[in-house]
Amino acid sequence: MKEIVVISGKGGTGKTSIAASFSYLGGKDLVVADCDVDAADMHLLMQPDFNKTEDFYSGVLAKINPDKCTNCGACAKVCRFDAIPVINDQYIVEPLNCEGCGYCPRVCPVDAITMEDQNVGKWYISTTKVGSSMVHARLGIGAENSGKLVAQVKNEAKRIAKEDGKDIVLVDGSPGIGCPVVSSLSGSDFVVLVTEPTVSGLHDLKRVYQLVKKFNIRAGCIINKSDLNLKVSSEIENFLKEEKIMHISNLPYDETFTKAMINGQTIIEYNDSNLIPILIESWDKIKKIILNN
Amino acid sequence: MKLAFTTKGTSWDSMMDPRFGRTEYILVYDDAKDELSHYDNRAIKNQAHGAGPQTAQKLFDLQPDILITGNGPGGNAASVLEKVGMKIYIGAGEMSVKEAFDAYKKGTLKEQEL
Repeated sequence: MKEIVVISGKGGTGKTSIAASFSYLGGKDLVVADCDVDAADMHLLMQPDFNKTEDFYSGVLAKINPDKCTNCGACAKVCRFDAIPVINDQYIVEPLNCEGCGYCPRVCPVDAITMEDQNVGKWYISTTKVGSSMVHARLGIGAENSGKLVAQVKNEAKRIAKEDGKDIVLVDGSPGIGCPVVSSLSGSDFVVLVTEPTVSGLHDLKRVYQLVKKFNIRAGCIINKSDLNLKVSSEIENFLKEEKIMHISNLPYDETFTKAMINGQTIIEYNDSNLIPILIESWDKIKKIILNN
Repeated sequence: MKLAFTTKGTSWDSMMDPRFGRTEYILVYDDAKDELSHYDNRAIKNQAHGAGPQTAQKLFDLQPDILITGNGPGGNAASVLEKVGMKIYIGAGEMSVKEAFDAYKKGTLKEQEL
């Protein structure tokens, strides 16, 4: 079983639209994992049924038991995050400010403070509109994506792929180069870098590729909206050559890209999009590389 | 010589864990004593952030000469491991521990430069 991760470095390059097109093309042959949990959008295109739901716990939050609390204020004094204000004559932990560091329960003279596991969202196992299994998650307000959540979503997708005898897990990765992205890349076999010909597109591509290189994962690149800035496009192509990154394809700017999204469709489903043959060819290329090895 | 493996179980037949930071176990084989021991890493696996550096810290305590793993450590973990001075071999993510050890002995695993 092989794992393909789609990442972009920069947001707004079309990563999820392209990943959703591949998961449509792959159909029942693959398991999909949406690890872009901060802004999970893949479900809008793949319409999963949210069949199985589980709570996700990450990190801890301080909680003051008002029956035990003597309002001495020792906790508020040591809190580095100003997370313990007095409300109605009672010290209360403000959950959005608490970082879960655990300092306050150490100084509380009457043991009124406990650190409690934080329910930060839910994760799901679904069947998509094309009949494939999809693992995805939704975070609560103020909660952040983490390496732990990404690892959990990916491990679950891998487990299903193994059980059902599927050859490919397709991961929609998260943007940036931080902890969730490191976790998306860890244990994967091929990376699809989706970029666009803008100064920040190229800059973020270079940044995220540093990470991919560290993990020794083979990579290919799709330049989306490639004809909008031919100068930067050719700079990107030069970078790909220098780094020996496979240049999978160029997708010219095409309004059907956005129109399909507005309809809640993948590009492949949108009638007469000029991008369809390019995406089919790109997916075939990627499949060939990873299944032949 | 001590060899460390990132694994999903505690025996030679267990599968390797391709992940470094969130590996379930670290298996250590001491070939002088022919002794296999394990460290349960699942508490670190459940940390929201910073799993890589913490696993690297654990390896610093265990002081193996060789680490055999999947993709290898990320940037933060690598800067800790540099201090340990061990050699890192990668590409064993989909093997059993036994297969990974054999592949290492045959010299077919790639060495990771930190």
